[in-house]
Amino acid sequence: MQLKHLFKPLGVRFMNEATRLPDDAMLSVRGITKAFGSNSVLKGVDMDITRGSVVALIGGNGAGKSTLMKIIMGIYQPDDGEIYLAGKIAKLGKPAASLAAGIYLVPQEPMLFPNMTVEENVLMGFKEKTQGLRKRLAELLNHLGWKMDLSRRAATLSIAEQQLVELLRGLMRDARLLILDEPTSSLTFNEVESLFKIVTDLKAKGISIIYITHRLTEVFQIADQVLIMRDGVITLNGDVSGFTREMLVAGLLPPNAEVHQGGVACTVEDYTGLTPTLVIDRLTGYGFQDVSLKVYPGEILGLAGVVGAGRTELATTVFGRDVVKGGKVYIEGQDVTGFSTRAMLDAGLNYVAEDRFLNGIFRLSDVAANTTAANLSRMSRCFVNFKEERRVTEKYVQAFRTKVTGQDQPIGSLSGGNQQKVIIARSLSTNPKVLILDEPTRGIDAAARGDVYRIIEQLKEQGLAILLISSDMEEIVELSDRAVTMYCGHINQEFAKCDITQDNLMAAAFGVTEGSATGA
Amino acid sequence: MLKKLLHSREITAFAFILFMFLGVGAINPAFLSPGNIWLCFNSSVVYTVVAIGIALVIITGEIDVSVGATLGMTATICGTMIRDGQPWEAAILTALLVGLLIGVVNGFGVTVLKIPSIIMTLGINGIVRGLIYVYTDGKWVENISFDFKNLSQGRLFGAITWFYLGALLLMVAVHLVLTRTKHGKYLAAVGDNIGGATLLGIPVDSTKFMAFVLCGLLAAAGGVLYVSRVGFVTPIAGNGYEMKVIAACVLGGISLSGGVGSVIGAGVGAAIMASISRVLVFVGLSSDYDNTITGILLIIIVVSDALIRRRAVEKARRERLAAKTLHAVASEKGATVDA
Repeated sequence: MQLKHLFKPLGVRFMNEATRLPDDAMLSVRGITKAFGSNSVLKGVDMDITRGSVVALIGGNGAGKSTLMKIIMGIYQPDDGEIYLAGKIAKLGKPAASLAAGIYLVPQEPMLFPNMTVEENVLMGFKEKTQGLRKRLAELLNHLGWKMDLSRRAATLSIAEQQLVELLRGLMRDARLLILDEPTSSLTFNEVESLFKIVTDLKAKGISIIYITHRLTEVFQIADQVLIMRDGVITLNGDVSGFTREMLVAGLLPPNAEVHQGGVACTVEDYTGLTPTLVIDRLTGYGFQDVSLKVYPGEILGLAGVVGAGRTELATTVFGRDVVKGGKVYIEGQDVTGFSTRAMLDAGLNYVAEDRFLNGIFRLSDVAANTTAANLSRMSRCFVNFKEERRVTEKYVQAFRTKVTGQDQPIGSLSGGNQQKVIIARSLSTNPKVLILDEPTRGIDAAARGDVYRIIEQLKEQGLAILLISSDMEEIVELSDRAVTMYCGHINQEFAKCDITQDNLMAAAFGVTEGSATGA
Repeated sequence: MLKKLLHSREITAFAFILFMFLGVGAINPAFLSPGNIWLCFNSSVVYTVVAIGIALVIITGEIDVSVGATLGMTATICGTMIRDGQPWEAAILTALLVGLLIGVVNGFGVTVLKIPSIIMTLGINGIVRGLIYVYTDGKWVENISFDFKNLSQGRLFGAITWFYLGALLLMVAVHLVLTRTKHGKYLAAVGDNIGGATLLGIPVDSTKFMAFVLCGLLAAAGGVLYVSRVGFVTPIAGNGYEMKVIAACVLGGISLSGGVGSVIGAGVGAAIMASISRVLVFVGLSSDYDNTITGILLIIIVVSDALIRRRAVEKARRERLAAKTLHAVASEKGATVDA
């Protein structure tokens, strides 16, 4: 209980009386906390959603937005705090209770039943008779003025149409509060326009909407009120009219971000005359378009952006995991466009994937086997050369100061940071010229993070070209010699060493580029 | 209406059985005698009942490979009790109760203990199979009363057995429950998109649990029918039935990943499965090939189904990613227009 007060939000609005609620509140939450194990995700959140308003909720990855929404939806239980509906305390233990209370979540990826018809999808999960439901649905469609073929199979619908079905599901439940989780992330421009019309329409009918987004432009287009979450608390809250984009970007940043800015003298490396190790020239693939970048030997190029901006798709396509639709990739001048992963490794490119558990470690194998897994064919004829394996492993364990009880320790029992060191060691054992690191310090504690940074710096000094993908702007600022930001599958801005600040990166990652920022 | 019928997934099973019968009839016209055709269908009654049960589980996206052992165990119990002169009602009820209990254990393991259903039911399969030997000492159950065996011979118009007619009625009833009632529709919803079902407040775990319980119950019903039809029970009775009924479901258009298919398809598939051994005899091959052919059919259908689905999923993923990038171009244009 005492901890809860320590972590009171630093919000614009401060409340003396935790239970005092605004009169027109549709939903209020007070002092919500939630931790998963030792990882505290929500640290005391207060929020009010008034009737018939559109509230934009923004925040970086891992700020706690989805956890908060899942608590409101009854999917998670809060550790502490209360939820009020129309001024009365509510007990939302499971989704059915939240649905009955008139709350409906439209997930980022629509959760339809692909093998059922539109009608079956909308009418699923009701207690009423089908006859009455059909009539209500017809009336609702009529009221909204939507035309829809109810007999189509959901699998044949576009994402935008699937979202409409999700909205219908919510409206059929008489939802008073709709939560839209990044609704525009997979929509085309025209579809976004019509979604906005629908949102405005629903608002006029007195329905409240929580609108989660990564695009600051949309906040000003659609929302009445804006909430920013960072690190488990709400850091900014108020009417949209009272804010500019710059103020929102500032709210997304940690409070000490200004200290770094301009504090360290920046030295610009000169790469003229050098041949870039990795050249990506107008590359187009699934999830990104027309991307051009160069990475020089001994350079760290930071690639910032929010999740879903197309960074990982770019990296995996370059690494031969997906088809190239257009453009070229060169390694040291050699055209390697469309090479398979094996051929890419041989050409000197290696990729350290973002999710260690899914794409990285062989969890049950020991440290030695994990270190040499990518290089077995080179160091063994018919049987694995264990002497060589031990030598290589020892080299990297020493160099990276990996904490292991021995080479035979299963990697699954190491800490996240030490696992990551082994994975980086593995990718280095293939002697790459270019290394793509995708979120190298996600889920790693501060001390190990420092170690990983030191290793990356060492590799840079050895002349490796490093492409560093990260959603952690601080990491990009700390390590990069140059940085680019990716937004909706495009590189939207490039920064020289001296211009790399969290402020600049965050603004560009959220789609506020220099040109448009001044416009607002 | 006709168009809808032609697009239904069961249509391939109907076509398959029709062409199989016509094809074999072309080689050996004796196959198409009414007596033989009725024999094919009537002899599929055990498969049909068990296939309806396992279809319920498969539609929720799970699997139950213990149906063969459940059938063997319940047939053994039912057969022993009837041999020992117990009342039929008691024998049948005990068998059904045991089947229900096995279903409860499977359902508990999968929904409460969260054990993958293939592992849970494989383990139960081994346990129950072993218990049959303990219960019978490895001996056959024979000398079952004539009257009980005669039950399986009763026919309507001298053609369709009462048993098979009952199985068909059961199939239609289950089909109506699955397509017309709330709780019936939950089965397909859970198998189709479990996350979506949770968000809509559908009781996911109890739906799966009920599917396993009903599957056990219907496997036991299959066991009772087996005693009457075959007239004796060996310790390996029901061995390999799991493959037959899974193949029947898949052939009938039920997707192993859940959410798709109907018990009508499962019923037609069961008739095909029962006919294969007779087909082999009529075209002059040894019926020893029966299991091999069933296995081949199962793999061909599952693989082609998986390939089609994988393509669809990959296509959807790419469309989604493509939409994301296209939006950016358009919105940049939009932004400049605004400015």
